[in-house]
Amino acid sequence: MTDSTSDGAHSDADLDPANEPRQSGPVERADGAESIVRIRSLVKTYFRGDEPLKVLDQLDLDIPKGSFEALMGPSGSGKSTLLNLIAGLDRPTSGTVVVDGKQIDRMGESQLARWRAATLGFVFQSFNLLPVLTALENVELPLLLAPLRAAERRKRAETALKIVGLEDRVKHYPRQLSGGQEQRVAIARAIVNDPKIIVADEPTGDLDRQSAADVMTLLEKLNQQLGKTIVMVTHDPAAAERASIIRRLDKGILV
Amino acid sequence: MTLIELAARNVLRNKVRTLLTVAGVAVAVLTFLLLRTVIYSWTAGVDAAATDRLVTRHKVTFVLELPLRYFEDVRMVPGVRVATFANWFGGKDPQHPNDFFQTLAVEPDTFFDVYSEMKLPATELAAFKQNRQGAVVGDVIAAKLGWKVGDRITLESPIFPTPPDQPWTFMVEGIYEATSKAVDRSTVVFHWKYINDAMPEVRKDEIGWVVSRVDDPSRAAEVASAIDRAFETRDTQTMTQDERAFASSFMASFSAVLSALDIVSVGILLIMLLVLGNTIAMGVRERTNEYGVLRALGFSPSHIAGFIVGESLVVGALGGALGLLISYPIVNRGIGNWLEENMGAMFPYFQVTPLLATIAFALALALGLVAAAVPAWGASRLNVTDALRRVA
Repeated sequence: MTDSTSDGAHSDADLDPANEPRQSGPVERADGAESIVRIRSLVKTYFRGDEPLKVLDQLDLDIPKGSFEALMGPSGSGKSTLLNLIAGLDRPTSGTVVVDGKQIDRMGESQLARWRAATLGFVFQSFNLLPVLTALENVELPLLLAPLRAAERRKRAETALKIVGLEDRVKHYPRQLSGGQEQRVAIARAIVNDPKIIVADEPTGDLDRQSAADVMTLLEKLNQQLGKTIVMVTHDPAAAERASIIRRLDKGILV
Repeated sequence: MTLIELAARNVLRNKVRTLLTVAGVAVAVLTFLLLRTVIYSWTAGVDAAATDRLVTRHKVTFVLELPLRYFEDVRMVPGVRVATFANWFGGKDPQHPNDFFQTLAVEPDTFFDVYSEMKLPATELAAFKQNRQGAVVGDVIAAKLGWKVGDRITLESPIFPTPPDQPWTFMVEGIYEATSKAVDRSTVVFHWKYINDAMPEVRKDEIGWVVSRVDDPSRAAEVASAIDRAFETRDTQTMTQDERAFASSFMASFSAVLSALDIVSVGILLIMLLVLGNTIAMGVRERTNEYGVLRALGFSPSHIAGFIVGESLVVGALGGALGLLISYPIVNRGIGNWLEENMGAMFPYFQVTPLLATIAFALALALGLVAAAVPAWGASRLNVTDALRRVA
């Protein structure tokens, strides 16, 4: 595990959209490592009434492909905002966000939605499974957007549930599962479309110690065995310990 | 699982609420059907009125009577093929005082020629014409009161009163059926002469109105003018209209009621629109977080809008279908049958028509579509991060 900060200074050429890579895929960094996420001069300002509140301030960040990163920091430090910007759920006030070779801050809503469906897997703190769907159907959900036959969707969802060790819970509804099991279903849902990046927002926040450990073991396995890049926001030092890189945010800047 | 199944699952999420909403839509559709059927049935006579049939009445009002000799004069007007006359009798069966049916004193030799959509066997018609006390009754009233050919029936009339122990007595000589839905099948017709002969001298030889059929329907207006011109210089002037105009002028006296029913039927749909819109909006508000999750997973704003509109359409469709289903026993069988039997003169055919049923179902769908419009628009514009933070 390595503590790391932002990549620091950047040239003007880095910020020029004309120089942004157009092809899909990770960007090669100056040091030769491939960046799957590249952020430059990122500013995010919210307004409370007329009063501006700068949550992220001129932030630069490169996330290497295949890394497992933990974003830590006190409440209000901007870590969830950063995660949302990387996931294309929110838009920066200024700056650029390039993920897997796509400048996502310029995409329209529908384009972003398609990009998220193809590129990202989400793990939420509260699991966010749909209560009216079984575990299998919840996992199948992202595949409804892919041009797949029903049998193929089902097969992939079953495989994903097998990876998280819940092949015997396919017909269970979320209310019939423990918190740890719900989060594992959520992880299966996050990997079912074979995303390049998994973003996890406090994935152990609602779990007991043992369940949290199981979930982190699973995320570790996905990173190490399947090569998934994982970006995780967490308050939990034990969870952060499992990451390969820990970044700390404070008052909107990486420290 | 498919996107449609996913939308359908949400419909059944809160079963009680969905059930109550579907029931609400069904009741609104039923009420709409009932009110529209009242309007349709009431105006059916106007819509189905023959264009070659002219009605000549007193110029002041159809309540006032015409001299009998006008009948012969109308027959002589060029263009008139056949004519007859009738008089309100206002009769009631003393055995069934609560049963209302239309009773007309008519000219027996020509009445069924002019009203050719009232059909009865030739032998019965001949018997009716020959028997001065004969009567022909509609098949609906005959079935209801158990009348058969050969039965003796008695009627009392406030217009043509008789001593209490001597009601008007008639022999049922025939039972007519109708070839048009607009024809009242509960009317009782009998000889005008039988009534007229019993009248005191001062009331003799008065008839209610003359009905004539013209050779050429396209010349009906011309013939009507000719009839009225024939009586222009007499003490009693006439007004001749084609049957539709006559029926319309009769209906005009009920126009306020019809307008009120029209407004109420639309008002009920508007109320239901607001109720359904509120229910859908509540569901959307409760599931904001889920919509945020779906957006995060890659579902587009139009998917979210589609789910909401789909859900609302399903509720509208279920409510519409249920409304139509219950309208059959309630409107067609229950209220419809009762009205046709008891108020056949006003509601000769009280049934939900296929066209009205189609319109009602389409309106239920439209209700679902419009009710979902605002919630769907709002949900599709949700900020994903705000939606994810929202707790139901």
